[in-house]
Amino acid sequence: MFPKAALYVGGRLIGAAITVLVGAIAVYVVMKAAPGDPALAVLGENARPEAVAAFRLKHHLDQPFWSQLAIWLGGLARGDFGLSLTIAGGIPISELIAARLPVTVFVGLYAVAIAVLISLAMGTVAALRRGRALDTIATSVAVLGISMPDFWLSYMLVFAFALGWRLFPAYGFTSPVDSVAQAIYSGFLPALAIAAPMAAVFARMLRTSLLETASREYVVAARSFGFSPGFVFRHYVFRNALIPYLTIIGLQIRYLLGGVVVIERIFGIQGMGSLMVDAAFARDYPTVLACTVVFLGIVLLVNVVVDLVCVALDPRRST
Amino acid sequence: MPSKHETGIHRRVVLGAGVAAAAGTALPWFARPATAAAGTLRAGIAGYNVINTLDPGKHSLIPEAYVVWAMFNALVKFNGKMEVVPDLAESFATKDANTLEFKLRPGVKFHDGSEMTGDDVKFTIERLQDEKYASPNKGKVSEVKEVRVVDPLTVQIVTNKAFAPLLAFLTNARTGTQIVPRKVVQAIGDDAFGKQPVGTGAYKLTGWKANESVTLAAHDAYFVKGQPSLATVEIPLIAEESSGVTALKGGQIDLTSTAPFADVPTLEQDKSLKIVKQPGMNCRFIAVNHRKPPFDDVHFRRAVSMAFDRNAMVKVVLFGEGVPSHGLIPPSLAYAYDAKPREISVFNPERAKAELAQSKYATGLGEVPILTWGSSWWKRIVEVFALQVNQTLGTKFTVEVNEANTVFARQKSGDFQGSVWGWLGPVDPDEYVGEVLSTKGWRNFYGYSNPKLDALAELGRAELDLAKRGAIYKQAEDIAIEDAAVLPCFCSNIHNIMAAKVQGFTQLPYSNFGDQFASITMG
Repeated sequence: MFPKAALYVGGRLIGAAITVLVGAIAVYVVMKAAPGDPALAVLGENARPEAVAAFRLKHHLDQPFWSQLAIWLGGLARGDFGLSLTIAGGIPISELIAARLPVTVFVGLYAVAIAVLISLAMGTVAALRRGRALDTIATSVAVLGISMPDFWLSYMLVFAFALGWRLFPAYGFTSPVDSVAQAIYSGFLPALAIAAPMAAVFARMLRTSLLETASREYVVAARSFGFSPGFVFRHYVFRNALIPYLTIIGLQIRYLLGGVVVIERIFGIQGMGSLMVDAAFARDYPTVLACTVVFLGIVLLVNVVVDLVCVALDPRRST
Repeated sequence: MPSKHETGIHRRVVLGAGVAAAAGTALPWFARPATAAAGTLRAGIAGYNVINTLDPGKHSLIPEAYVVWAMFNALVKFNGKMEVVPDLAESFATKDANTLEFKLRPGVKFHDGSEMTGDDVKFTIERLQDEKYASPNKGKVSEVKEVRVVDPLTVQIVTNKAFAPLLAFLTNARTGTQIVPRKVVQAIGDDAFGKQPVGTGAYKLTGWKANESVTLAAHDAYFVKGQPSLATVEIPLIAEESSGVTALKGGQIDLTSTAPFADVPTLEQDKSLKIVKQPGMNCRFIAVNHRKPPFDDVHFRRAVSMAFDRNAMVKVVLFGEGVPSHGLIPPSLAYAYDAKPREISVFNPERAKAELAQSKYATGLGEVPILTWGSSWWKRIVEVFALQVNQTLGTKFTVEVNEANTVFARQKSGDFQGSVWGWLGPVDPDEYVGEVLSTKGWRNFYGYSNPKLDALAELGRAELDLAKRGAIYKQAEDIAIEDAAVLPCFCSNIHNIMAAKVQGFTQLPYSNFGDQFASITMG
């Protein structure tokens, strides 16, 4: 059993490393193919041609495409992401990521926690009260949650809780590295805005999954043994219904890394998504590449973790 | 929370004894209650979140300038009427057509305590001229032949020939000519100086988090008596303009560098806020490529110039926050500004159609993409322009959206037919007319060439008398509009919005910001 699991995990990790490398090269090729010039981004439109030429020389931008890639891959092999070109000129990218990754992870987990709490309650209630008023209410709220644009919800939250009742700051976020309490406080509105559509998706998923599981034969069999409805729900229905639910949460991680840029902007959160978008617009090639590697690494890692948790929940999956 | 990069100045390290406000509390700038921040100004830069360098010589982006202006001084500066007045210089005089002499203010101290002298002035200008340093601001001093240090407090700047823009290029604006200390720069090198700048300004750098915020503390030895009055300035970098407004309304900042045009009318109703505005130093225009059809035909260009209504554009695009342009020079350069509507720049459908009939393209024309970017008012300019011209002339102008960076690159390489463009912050008429429209002007990417305009631009650069100089540029603009060299649309307002308690901010039309921190008090 153990060597099998080790092989499984090891194989997944090697596959992940190859995916990261191929992904990074693909992003690099696409970035280079797009028009635009980092020298213009950093020197501004007032820059004379001499200054632009000097900038290109200094950052190897005058070299052929493949040798630039080789320089970057060489650095990556030594664990060096290089220096930011245009969005934080001259600062090591590893420092930028070290500052931003905790922010993104914190806000992401915060949002997932809120979404899980809401969806567990909503999904379970809806499933248990299928077809009744509570189910209709929960399902309608979920549809609303999915259809509300997150930026619109963000502004509504700001108007109500920050500008109206003055309970939270309208703008600004403290990194959990500086103060966890402040991070929880200043991160509440953005986390809620991110969580709302997720909670809706999770709740619907959980409801469907619970109802489907509840009609399985082994559940009917369990009932026929005379187990109490609560016991059957906890041990036969809920546990098995969690597998698709967890898979959906795992899929949302990608969204949390890169898809919440608008919310990061509205609340002034310095997250990975904003870093990558800013870097892409300013043609900060090494920063975009570093972000890509980190993103891919995290997504793949999360997939492995979700798979392992599912295996734990359902041992048949390990074979 | 990006970058705790070690710049030699650790973030939130307090240098001066009297500068305790920033570090005294563990709370970040936005979480502090407004009452406790009496000694702190929270001045948000909205719409930008990138500062790559704070070295004046290397700076080029607007947010970089905003902060540089707080930490440095130049020899001269603009006053509220946009007149050039002494700053680090006590006085200045024109010795002859090619020589400006500056008497320096004695006893001015840099942030490191050393004294500013004529040698630093010489070093600053020669550094800008150095090829290896590769300053984006090199053009500002390219006509300087020599900087003579007559004595420690007297400096003469000699140009190759009479060069009228020089004085404006020596102000504390987007010029790069702010005075830096020779000793510090040579000791730590140019790159390090960009991260730990040392100037003579009212504020010095104490903290900097990449893409997030800059923190300044008062320079106790600042040469203006009684300034600055606030111990600390926190400058959050707020990527979205609208978020700057939200932060101001929520009480997280006291002052913002700009606001979306659409928000201005409602903000003006808000009693808890003050809003200052005026037409800025900018001109937004439709650039046309004279090397390619259809804008290679002067009749076609004139037809298009008369086929759209600039007043309507101001209303629709800017929500009234601006003035229509009938030339490139903005109203704030009063001596050179011509408010009169020129014939070819006034909406006139009949004449436009008549001009079109005379052009090579009278019998029809395919689609003509006009480049723009983003989703904001820059895009709206082109939408309104294309719609009006198509309605008037029956043309098929289309809106092509790229990124700003790409649009500029395509203009430079000549890969465009028409494109929106606009410069913000140039302080001399030559930058608006000579550099954009003369045949060899470095901002002339359009292939426009008219010897008469070239001659006037040359005259304008050499004429030291302001009134005569202004008249020259008015003539040059007459020619440019007659040729429809580019199609000026409007000059937009600049805005600063602040909490009602903020006093002492004087707005200048080039969109100044950091240079006002010294005089700000909080009532």
